[in-house]
Amino acid sequence: MSGFLKIAIRNLLKGPTTDPYPFGPTFVPDKLRGKLKVDPKACTACGTCEEVCPSAAIHITKNNNLYVHITWYNTCCFCGNCEFFCPTGAIKLSNNFHTANTEEEKYKFVSIAVIPEIKCEKCNSFFVPPSEELLKRAYPHINEEIERFRKICPECRKKEAFKRLYK
Amino acid sequence: MSIITRSPFLFRINTGSCNGCDVELATTAMIPRYDVERLGCRYTGSPKHADILLVTGPITARSKPYLIEVLDELPRPFVVVAIGTCPTSCGIFRDSYSIEGPLDKYIKVDVNVPGCPPRPQAIIDGIAKAIEIWKRKIRDEK
Repeated sequence: MSGFLKIAIRNLLKGPTTDPYPFGPTFVPDKLRGKLKVDPKACTACGTCEEVCPSAAIHITKNNNLYVHITWYNTCCFCGNCEFFCPTGAIKLSNNFHTANTEEEKYKFVSIAVIPEIKCEKCNSFFVPPSEELLKRAYPHINEEIERFRKICPECRKKEAFKRLYK
Repeated sequence: MSIITRSPFLFRINTGSCNGCDVELATTAMIPRYDVERLGCRYTGSPKHADILLVTGPITARSKPYLIEVLDELPRPFVVVAIGTCPTSCGIFRDSYSIEGPLDKYIKVDVNVPGCPPRPQAIIDGIAKAIEIWKRKIRDEK
Protein backbone atom coordinates (compact mmCIF):
# COMPACT_ATOMS: atom_id res chain seq x y z
CA MET A 1 0.00 0.00 0.00
CA SER A 2 2.76 2.44 0.94
CA GLY A 3 4.58 1.58 -2.33
CA PHE A 4 1.51 2.45 -4.34
CA LEU A 5 1.07 5.72 -2.45
CA LYS A 6 4.70 6.62 -3.04
CA ILE A 7 4.31 6.11 -6.81
CA ALA A 8 1.01 8.01 -6.88
CA ILE A 9 2.45 11.02 -5.03
CA ARG A 10 5.62 10.98 -7.13
CA ASN A 11 3.60 10.94 -10.34
CA LEU A 12 1.40 13.79 -9.07
CA LEU A 13 4.46 15.90 -8.33
CA LYS A 14 6.23 15.03 -11.61
CA GLY A 15 3.38 16.07 -13.88
CA PRO A 16 2.53 14.56 -17.26
CA THR A 17 5.14 12.59 -19.19
CA THR A 18 3.86 13.77 -22.57
CA ASP A 19 6.50 15.40 -24.75
CA PRO A 20 5.25 18.96 -25.44
CA TYR A 21 6.73 18.84 -28.94
CA PRO A 22 4.55 20.73 -31.42
CA PHE A 23 3.84 23.33 -28.73
CA GLY A 24 7.14 23.26 -26.85
CA PRO A 25 10.73 22.01 -26.83
CA THR A 26 11.65 18.36 -27.27
CA PHE A 27 14.52 16.05 -26.45
CA VAL A 28 16.88 15.20 -29.33
CA PRO A 29 19.75 12.73 -28.87
CA ASP A 30 23.17 14.01 -29.96
CA LYS A 31 23.89 10.97 -32.11
CA LEU A 32 20.61 11.12 -34.01
CA ARG A 33 21.17 10.79 -37.75
CA GLY A 34 19.30 13.66 -39.35
CA LYS A 35 19.88 16.04 -42.23
CA LEU A 36 23.46 16.14 -43.39
CA LYS A 37 25.82 19.05 -43.49
CA VAL A 38 28.55 19.33 -46.11
CA ASP A 39 31.57 21.49 -45.43
CA PRO A 40 32.49 22.90 -48.88
CA LYS A 41 36.01 23.80 -47.67
CA ALA A 42 36.85 20.21 -46.74
CA CYS A 43 35.04 18.50 -49.64
CA THR A 44 37.11 17.62 -52.71
CA ALA A 45 34.15 16.40 -54.84
CA CYS A 46 35.70 12.91 -55.09
CA GLY A 47 32.27 11.26 -55.44
CA THR A 48 32.68 8.60 -52.74
CA CYS A 49 29.40 9.61 -51.07
CA GLU A 50 27.60 9.42 -54.42
CA GLU A 51 28.98 5.90 -54.90
CA VAL A 52 28.13 4.51 -51.45
CA CYS A 53 24.67 6.11 -51.10
CA PRO A 54 22.24 3.15 -51.18
CA SER A 55 19.24 5.23 -52.24
CA ALA A 56 21.05 7.53 -54.72
CA ALA A 57 20.12 10.65 -52.76
CA ILE A 58 23.44 12.39 -53.42
CA HIS A 59 24.37 13.80 -56.81
CA ILE A 60 27.49 15.72 -57.70
CA THR A 61 27.29 17.69 -60.92
CA LYS A 62 29.79 19.98 -62.58
CA ASN A 63 28.68 23.42 -63.64
CA ASN A 64 31.13 26.07 -64.94
CA ASN A 65 34.16 25.43 -62.70
CA LEU A 66 31.90 24.60 -59.76
CA TYR A 67 30.99 21.23 -58.33
CA VAL A 68 27.46 21.17 -56.92
CA HIS A 69 26.76 18.59 -54.21
CA ILE A 70 23.00 17.99 -53.95
CA THR A 71 21.29 15.80 -51.33
CA TRP A 72 17.58 15.07 -51.82
CA TYR A 73 16.09 14.20 -48.44
CA ASN A 74 12.91 12.66 -49.84
CA THR A 75 14.90 9.58 -50.85
CA CYS A 76 17.68 9.71 -48.25
CA CYS A 77 17.41 6.87 -45.71
CA PHE A 78 19.72 8.55 -43.16
CA CYS A 79 22.02 5.50 -42.98
CA GLY A 80 25.18 7.56 -42.47
CA ASN A 81 27.23 5.76 -45.14
CA CYS A 82 28.34 9.09 -46.63
CA GLU A 83 29.66 10.24 -43.26
CA PHE A 84 31.41 6.91 -42.65
CA PHE A 85 33.13 6.70 -46.03
CA CYS A 86 33.93 10.40 -46.58
CA PRO A 87 37.76 10.49 -46.83
CA THR A 88 38.03 14.10 -45.64
CA GLY A 89 35.28 14.16 -43.01
CA ALA A 90 33.44 16.88 -44.93
CA ILE A 91 30.00 15.28 -44.46
CA LYS A 92 28.52 15.31 -40.98
CA LEU A 93 25.02 14.16 -40.09
CA SER A 94 23.36 16.70 -37.80
CA ASN A 95 20.55 15.87 -35.39
CA ASN A 96 17.99 17.95 -37.28
CA PHE A 97 14.98 15.64 -37.72
CA HIS A 98 12.46 18.12 -39.22
CA THR A 99 11.64 16.25 -42.42
CA ALA A 100 7.89 16.81 -42.92
CA ASN A 101 7.29 18.68 -46.19
CA THR A 102 4.34 19.31 -48.45
CA GLU A 103 4.00 17.96 -51.98
CA GLU A 104 4.78 21.37 -53.55
CA GLU A 105 8.25 21.36 -52.01
CA LYS A 106 8.90 17.66 -52.63
CA TYR A 107 11.61 18.19 -55.23
CA LYS A 108 12.94 21.35 -53.58
CA PHE A 109 13.66 19.61 -50.26
CA VAL A 110 17.42 19.44 -50.84
CA SER A 111 20.61 20.72 -49.30
CA ILE A 112 23.18 22.14 -51.66
CA ALA A 113 26.92 22.63 -51.20
CA VAL A 114 29.06 24.35 -53.81
CA ILE A 115 32.70 23.32 -54.16
CA PRO A 116 34.66 25.84 -56.25
CA GLU A 117 37.62 24.94 -58.46
CA ILE A 118 40.79 27.05 -58.36
CA LYS A 119 43.14 28.09 -61.16
CA CYS A 120 46.50 26.35 -61.48
CA GLU A 121 49.39 28.76 -60.96
CA LYS A 122 51.43 27.24 -63.80
CA CYS A 123 49.06 26.31 -66.64
CA ASN A 124 45.86 28.24 -65.78
CA SER A 125 43.67 25.13 -65.89
CA PHE A 126 40.94 24.63 -63.28
CA PHE A 127 41.04 21.88 -60.65
CA VAL A 128 39.79 21.12 -57.11
CA PRO A 129 42.67 21.48 -54.64
CA PRO A 130 43.23 18.81 -51.98
CA SER A 131 41.68 20.11 -48.80
CA GLU A 132 43.52 20.59 -45.53
CA GLU A 133 41.75 17.62 -43.94
CA LEU A 134 42.99 15.38 -46.75
CA LEU A 135 46.57 16.64 -46.39
CA LYS A 136 46.45 16.05 -42.66
CA ARG A 137 45.47 12.46 -43.36
CA ALA A 138 48.20 11.95 -45.95
CA TYR A 139 51.19 13.69 -44.32
CA PRO A 140 52.28 13.82 -40.67
CA HIS A 141 53.50 17.42 -41.02
CA ILE A 142 52.42 19.93 -43.62
CA ASN A 143 55.39 22.05 -44.70
CA GLU A 144 55.69 24.91 -47.18
CA GLU A 145 56.53 22.66 -50.10
CA ILE A 146 53.32 20.68 -49.73
CA GLU A 147 51.40 23.93 -49.49
CA ARG A 148 53.08 25.07 -52.74
CA PHE A 149 52.21 21.82 -54.52
CA ARG A 150 48.63 22.15 -53.35
CA LYS A 151 48.08 25.20 -55.52
CA ILE A 152 49.16 23.60 -58.82
CA CYS A 153 47.18 21.13 -60.89
CA PRO A 154 47.97 17.36 -60.87
CA GLU A 155 49.74 17.45 -64.27
CA CYS A 156 52.04 20.31 -63.32
CA ARG A 157 52.54 18.70 -59.91
CA LYS A 158 53.89 15.56 -61.55
CA LYS A 159 56.37 17.58 -63.61
CA GLU A 160 57.49 19.62 -60.61
CA ALA A 161 57.97 16.54 -58.47
CA PHE A 162 59.99 14.86 -61.25
CA LYS A 163 62.22 17.93 -61.66
CA ARG A 164 62.86 17.91 -57.92
CA LEU A 165 64.28 14.38 -58.16
CA TYR A 166 67.03 15.32 -60.66
CA LYS A 167 68.14 18.60 -59.19
CA MET B 1 -22.58 25.48 -37.66
CA SER B 2 -19.27 27.28 -38.00
CA ILE B 3 -18.65 27.03 -34.24
CA ILE B 4 -18.70 23.24 -34.40
CA THR B 5 -15.42 22.06 -35.86
CA ARG B 6 -15.01 18.54 -37.12
CA SER B 7 -12.15 16.38 -35.94
CA PRO B 8 -10.29 14.26 -38.48
CA PHE B 9 -9.97 10.49 -38.23
CA LEU B 10 -6.71 8.85 -39.18
CA PHE B 11 -6.50 5.61 -41.13
CA ARG B 12 -3.26 3.74 -41.63
CA ILE B 13 -2.43 1.34 -44.45
CA ASN B 14 0.72 -0.71 -44.78
CA THR B 15 1.67 -1.33 -48.42
CA GLY B 16 4.53 -3.75 -47.90
CA SER B 17 6.53 -1.75 -45.38
CA CYS B 18 9.19 -3.31 -43.14
CA ASN B 19 7.10 -2.33 -40.05
CA GLY B 20 9.64 0.27 -38.94
CA CYS B 21 7.34 3.16 -39.84
CA ASP B 22 4.34 1.27 -38.40
CA VAL B 23 6.13 0.93 -35.07
CA GLU B 24 6.87 4.66 -35.11
CA LEU B 25 3.21 5.37 -35.96
CA ALA B 26 2.09 3.16 -33.07
CA THR B 27 4.55 5.04 -30.84
CA THR B 28 3.12 8.35 -32.01
CA ALA B 29 -0.45 7.32 -31.32
CA MET B 30 -0.46 4.79 -28.50
CA ILE B 31 2.04 5.81 -25.85
CA PRO B 32 1.42 8.92 -23.75
CA ARG B 33 4.84 10.36 -24.51
CA TYR B 34 4.06 11.38 -28.12
CA ASP B 35 0.30 11.65 -27.89
CA VAL B 36 -1.04 12.46 -31.35
CA GLU B 37 -4.59 12.79 -29.99
CA ARG B 38 -3.59 16.17 -28.54
CA LEU B 39 -3.95 17.52 -32.08
CA GLY B 40 -7.63 16.52 -32.07
CA CYS B 41 -7.48 13.42 -34.21
CA ARG B 42 -7.66 9.71 -33.58
CA TYR B 43 -7.27 6.39 -35.34
CA THR B 44 -10.15 4.57 -36.94
CA GLY B 45 -10.41 0.99 -38.10
CA SER B 46 -12.36 1.61 -41.28
CA PRO B 47 -11.38 3.66 -44.34
CA LYS B 48 -15.05 4.73 -44.68
CA HIS B 49 -14.65 6.94 -41.59
CA ALA B 50 -11.21 8.25 -42.41
CA ASP B 51 -10.26 11.82 -43.29
CA ILE B 52 -6.49 11.51 -43.27
CA LEU B 53 -4.83 8.48 -44.86
CA LEU B 54 -1.37 7.51 -43.64
CA VAL B 55 0.52 5.25 -46.06
CA THR B 56 3.67 3.35 -45.13
CA GLY B 57 5.82 1.16 -47.36
CA PRO B 58 6.78 1.17 -51.04
CA ILE B 59 3.71 0.05 -52.99
CA THR B 60 4.48 -3.61 -53.71
CA ALA B 61 2.81 -5.47 -56.58
CA ARG B 62 0.80 -7.61 -54.11
CA SER B 63 -0.51 -4.70 -52.04
CA LYS B 64 -1.33 -2.31 -54.91
CA PRO B 65 -4.95 -3.55 -55.57
CA TYR B 66 -5.78 -3.23 -51.86
CA LEU B 67 -4.40 0.30 -51.77
CA ILE B 68 -6.56 1.30 -54.75
CA GLU B 69 -9.57 -0.30 -53.07
CA VAL B 70 -8.97 1.75 -49.91
CA LEU B 71 -8.51 4.94 -51.93
CA ASP B 72 -11.91 4.36 -53.58
CA GLU B 73 -13.61 3.84 -50.22
CA LEU B 74 -12.39 7.08 -48.62
CA PRO B 75 -14.96 9.88 -48.26
CA ARG B 76 -14.09 13.09 -50.10
CA PRO B 77 -12.26 15.34 -49.30
CA PHE B 78 -9.36 13.47 -47.78
CA VAL B 79 -5.67 14.12 -47.21
CA VAL B 80 -2.91 11.64 -48.02
CA VAL B 81 0.26 11.56 -45.92
CA ALA B 82 3.24 9.45 -47.02
CA ILE B 83 5.05 8.22 -43.91
CA GLY B 84 8.65 7.22 -44.49
CA THR B 85 11.00 7.39 -47.44
CA CYS B 86 9.38 4.38 -49.19
CA PRO B 87 6.00 5.82 -50.27
CA THR B 88 7.57 9.24 -50.87
CA SER B 89 10.10 8.13 -53.49
CA CYS B 90 10.64 4.36 -52.91
CA GLY B 91 14.06 5.12 -51.39
CA ILE B 92 16.44 2.17 -51.58
CA PHE B 93 13.80 -0.02 -53.32
CA ARG B 94 13.45 2.25 -56.35
CA ASP B 95 13.31 0.44 -59.74
CA SER B 96 12.95 -2.98 -58.11
CA TYR B 97 10.91 -5.59 -60.01
CA SER B 98 8.13 -5.90 -57.44
CA ILE B 99 7.76 -2.23 -56.51
CA GLU B 100 4.97 -0.22 -58.13
CA GLY B 101 5.56 3.01 -56.22
CA PRO B 102 5.98 5.82 -55.47
CA LEU B 103 2.60 6.76 -54.04
CA ASP B 104 2.07 9.92 -56.10
CA LYS B 105 1.62 7.80 -59.23
CA TYR B 106 -1.85 6.80 -57.98
CA ILE B 107 -3.15 9.66 -55.84
CA LYS B 108 -2.28 13.28 -55.12
CA VAL B 109 -0.13 13.19 -52.00
CA ASP B 110 -0.36 16.22 -49.72
CA VAL B 111 2.38 15.75 -47.13
CA ASN B 112 5.60 13.71 -47.27
CA VAL B 113 7.44 12.70 -44.11
CA PRO B 114 10.74 11.13 -45.21
CA GLY B 115 12.96 9.24 -42.79
CA CYS B 116 13.86 5.63 -42.34
CA PRO B 117 11.88 5.55 -40.08
CA PRO B 118 10.90 9.17 -39.36
CA ARG B 119 11.05 10.35 -35.76
CA PRO B 120 7.69 10.48 -33.91
CA GLN B 121 8.06 14.26 -33.67
CA ALA B 122 8.47 14.44 -37.47
CA ILE B 123 5.28 12.35 -37.88
CA ILE B 124 3.45 14.73 -35.53
CA ASP B 125 4.73 17.63 -37.69
CA GLY B 126 3.40 15.90 -40.79
CA ILE B 127 -0.01 15.17 -39.25
CA ALA B 128 -0.27 18.80 -38.06
CA LYS B 129 0.39 19.98 -41.62
CA ALA B 130 -2.14 17.45 -42.95
CA ILE B 131 -4.85 18.69 -40.53
CA GLU B 132 -4.31 22.26 -41.77
CA ILE B 133 -4.61 21.14 -45.40
CA TRP B 134 -7.74 19.11 -44.56
CA LYS B 135 -9.39 22.13 -42.87
CA ARG B 136 -8.57 24.27 -45.93
CA LYS B 137 -10.08 21.65 -48.23
CA ILE B 138 -13.31 21.54 -46.18
CA ARG B 139 -13.53 25.36 -46.21
CA ASP B 140 -13.09 25.39 -50.00
CA GLU B 141 -15.86 22.84 -50.44
CA LYS B 142 -18.48 24.85 -48.56
